[in-house]
Amino acid sequence: MKVRVDPELCQGHTLCWMTAPKSFQLDEVDGHSSAVSEDVPADQEEDVREAAHSCPERAIQIF
Amino acid sequence: MTETPSDDDRKKARVHFDRHTPQYRHEFEETTHELHAKCPIAWTDTHGGHWVASGNREVFELARSAEFLSNDHDVKGVRRGYKGITIPSPPRAREVQGGFLEMDPPEQRHYRQTLNPYLSPAAVSRWIPFVDEVVRACLDEKIEQGRIDFVDDLANIVPAVLTLAMLGIPLKDWTVYNEPAHASVYTPPDSPDMPRVAELSRKMGMSLYMALSEIREKPRPGLIDALVRADINGKTPPDDELTGVLALLIGGGFDTTTALTAHALEWLSENPAERDRLSRERDTLLDSATEEFLRYFTPAPGDGRTISADCEIAGQKFEEGERLWLSWAMANRDPSVFPDPDRVHLDRKGNRHSSFGLGIHRCIGSNVARTVFKRMVTAVLDRMPDFRCDPEGTVHYETIGIIQGMRHLPAAFTPGKRLGPSLDETLETLQRACDEQGLAAPVTVRTARADTGR
Repeated sequence: MKVRVDPELCQGHTLCWMTAPKSFQLDEVDGHSSAVSEDVPADQEEDVREAAHSCPERAIQIF
Repeated sequence: MTETPSDDDRKKARVHFDRHTPQYRHEFEETTHELHAKCPIAWTDTHGGHWVASGNREVFELARSAEFLSNDHDVKGVRRGYKGITIPSPPRAREVQGGFLEMDPPEQRHYRQTLNPYLSPAAVSRWIPFVDEVVRACLDEKIEQGRIDFVDDLANIVPAVLTLAMLGIPLKDWTVYNEPAHASVYTPPDSPDMPRVAELSRKMGMSLYMALSEIREKPRPGLIDALVRADINGKTPPDDELTGVLALLIGGGFDTTTALTAHALEWLSENPAERDRLSRERDTLLDSATEEFLRYFTPAPGDGRTISADCEIAGQKFEEGERLWLSWAMANRDPSVFPDPDRVHLDRKGNRHSSFGLGIHRCIGSNVARTVFKRMVTAVLDRMPDFRCDPEGTVHYETIGIIQGMRHLPAAFTPGKRLGPSLDETLETLQRACDEQGLAAPVTVRTARADTGR
């Protein structure tokens, strides 16, 4: 499973980071999110799915 | 060539919708169910006529269509005369541009880029020891008496003091800002109290104006310093524009967090088993509970927009110049996204609420709001675990047209011991920390957490 945060859509709501703190990181300056790594470790898949589902901007793509 | 549909065709779904009436507050759930079922986008003739979007999908698609929506409030009439985010707009004489929330890009984006390094999660987390000290002192003032008003004695004070600290305004001035910041929201324009509120607002405006001039002359770190030195689309912004920005930061920073905290504490008092569970399981439950309170109570229930070009969004045709109300509060109750939407579930999953707005205007203070809320609520759970709010003394805002807020929330609890100095003394200590450590500097300059000496 792979994950990507669309930088054009992310507005820095930070819900993904609250839901899956091991898989998402927030920019120090604007708080916008990015994936720690495109490849999602097996033990993180559930949290990442939940994070994608929680994103108010629908900015997280799982592929 | 396509034919322009007549107004009657486009405005088929018509409702009478007036969110400024007490009735809307009392019948919020029924109204929301009806709109969701019949017309998630509807036309209403109230307040000069405007669209009302209540469905989650519809609000989402509209809010994200920045190319067809404008937040612009053209107070001077030099652009297209758009009226900003308030429906109805205030009388001409009282019209002020509401900072960058009533601007479009690129200026709006430049303002946010200027302020983000003060408001990002990393920037805000540095303030936690500061917030904890203010909360501690507020609770200390009441802990021995066994009675507190959660609005007057806690939820008004902490957001006010922190907002002023971040701006770079002396903390002791919080009383100058507190009353007008709340009263100007809940006082109806025709109230006999309005002259008093207007006078307090004028004094607040003077204080802000003085802070602008002072900090322009003699820099001291904070949001005001960033604003007076900002490059907004190649220009240094004029004072009247900056006053609007500061009013936005104060309006956004004070009343909303107060509203969220008061409603959450009232709910926890009514649901003591859930309160005990939240306290016990806070490590896993506090984040989701915070988002759920945000969803359920939606302190800022919506935003107005102006359609900036003819378009079709979510199946509805709009025409340039039409006004639109995006109801975050009603979108947050849509059963297609939130199962059992009218009940609070502290562990709700997939809670993609829109309480901070959606799209490019997402509340820039969302990280401040969450942090302050969490520190206040957990301190109450720790120090006043058996608190019981008094429904007789509780005063909600009469309407939820602007903010779903509360004026008073008295509560009783088993008295406890003070842990430290008084609020006044604490604010003096914290003022020294601000001055000596430059706490209000952006995260790009200062990464260390506040040292409050305690």
